Amino acid sequence: MKRREFIKKAGLTAAGGVAFPYILPSGRLFAKTNAELADHVVYVLFAGGVRQQESVLQQYLSGSQGVDIGGNIMYNMLNGTPPDRKIVYGTTPAGEPIGSLPIPKVLSTSLQSQGLLFPEVESVNGGHYGGLTSLLTGNRSTAQGLKVRPNTPTIFEYLRRHRGFKASDVWFVGSGIGNSFPLLNSSNHQSYGTNYGANFVAPGITFGNEGVDILSNAKSYHPQEELEPIYKMRAFLNNSFRIKNGEVDGIRNGEDEKANIKKFVEEVFAKKSMGALARSPVSGAGDLQTLSYAAEVLKYFKPKMLVVNLTNVDGCHSNFSGYLRSLHRADHGVGWLWNYIQQEIPEMSGKTVMMATPECGRNLNPNPIQDENDWYAYDHSGDYNTSRVWSLMAGPNVPQNMVVGSESNRVGRTTDNVLTIAEIFGIKDAVLGAGFMDPTAKSLFDQI
Amino acid sequence: MRTLYKIPILLLILCVALVSCKKDVIATYDVNDVDIEDKSLIKDRSKSNKQFISILYTTLHQKAISSKELVRTERVIESFGDKALINEVIVSNYMNNGEVVLPSNDEMRGNLDSFVTVTYKKFFVRIPTEIEKAFFVNYIESNPNITPELVYTAFASCDEFQFY
Repeated sequence: MKRREFIKKAGLTAAGGVAFPYILPSGRLFAKTNAELADHVVYVLFAGGVRQQESVLQQYLSGSQGVDIGGNIMYNMLNGTPPDRKIVYGTTPAGEPIGSLPIPKVLSTSLQSQGLLFPEVESVNGGHYGGLTSLLTGNRSTAQGLKVRPNTPTIFEYLRRHRGFKASDVWFVGSGIGNSFPLLNSSNHQSYGTNYGANFVAPGITFGNEGVDILSNAKSYHPQEELEPIYKMRAFLNNSFRIKNGEVDGIRNGEDEKANIKKFVEEVFAKKSMGALARSPVSGAGDLQTLSYAAEVLKYFKPKMLVVNLTNVDGCHSNFSGYLRSLHRADHGVGWLWNYIQQEIPEMSGKTVMMATPECGRNLNPNPIQDENDWYAYDHSGDYNTSRVWSLMAGPNVPQNMVVGSESNRVGRTTDNVLTIAEIFGIKDAVLGAGFMDPTAKSLFDQI
Repeated sequence: MRTLYKIPILLLILCVALVSCKKDVIATYDVNDVDIEDKSLIKDRSKSNKQFISILYTTLHQKAISSKELVRTERVIESFGDKALINEVIVSNYMNNGEVVLPSNDEMRGNLDSFVTVTYKKFFVRIPTEIEKAFFVNYIESNPNITPELVYTAFASCDEFQFY
């Protein structure tokens, strides 16, 4: 080879190496960048719009209705004693006033004592969809439209692309199919998108009455004699009709994963018909049902990352007493889920970090709607109080019994959570390098 | 003399008449036989969930789905992230409800060529290419376990059926 030709080829090779990073067989673009802090993350979008006054500030009625009664109605998650009068946040025993029986504590030590609390965090978006999008993308999402997938990658996509997780390693358990929730399992970003999205399930529908009628009578085909030919014929058909990435909406699991998920669906229907689903001591429709199915997903798949979305507290738009009950029940459900992971899923026990953050707060001043107790309801229309939320996390490598920030010293933003989870899984630098994060976002670990 | 004067005029009229009057030829026009079903039909638009369910149900049941059932099924599809997976489960449920109109195994194996062509038309609205036809004919012939139900399941859950 002539000297000139050698220099030319060597130059091209070097340029190619710089221009095109090495793509690992798993599809990861870069190797992981720092040590992992935990094997699993359960991320609770404690959503629906939660006021600081009734949650971390523990003001019960004093911060909203001009009634001088304070107290903590989220005693599984937060430290503090419950209210001692005008109890409306509990369950309703027969013949007793509505909500008069508080739900007994399920955690002997609160999550706050077990972990790290940021009591005064900035929510960067006062709407549900924008707020949830920010919690999942780490982007302020100011240009985010409704009824479209997030514009920038979600934590699911970062984990799948940069950490190499399979589709069935990441789950989003949604509270329903309204409010564009099903679109939150992946962005529409060209370099990420549904190819790296999470499995989404809205269990109230998939496993509810509609699901029972439409899905529960599926045929069990013989794996070799029937399923194999179906897969072979379908593979031939799909090879003849090659679709491009992103042409079909929704994520795609591998054939093995699909078979496993179908088995899970069958198992859940069977458990449901036998009344054997995982359930918190107080159960029912809504958030507690969503958490119950989240527990089933955790038990069956032991996913690396599970996000569960709660929503019932949004009833505060028209019913303040109902909001208090929803807040209390959500706390009960989250406490129970934490216990369930520790006690019923040995593969995840002691190896799981749980995080919880509301997507937005609610207004300081009420709207004119009064409930059965003549208490006023609250919207979330973008005042300063709407931007006030909190973040709580517990698990391995998370400092215990630590509070960072205060009412007069705001520390943290809702966009910090994605970087925090990225740090837990060792891909913080890769996520930062992708360039879609809120420029002010920092991992919560970096703000201690 | 007067009569003789008329003869050339009559002859002239006769000649003109003979030359100018011809019997009309009735022409019939026809269209050559043309295959109007494109084998390489371009399908580049994904069916909406509603379209998919309606077409799937009609294809399998030979009748339209009720609007109530359509809405409920659409909600179930929306409640699950992997559309291909949930569609497979829905097809499998249909196959189990005893209402799907399927040819018998004997009918399928009695004329495989025709079965494959009809199945392609039914699901993909096109005729198969020779390669496609050959694959299915050979595959079904060499696998006695394959039933029309399995073939329909493969077609109903493949990518092309999700496009139009």
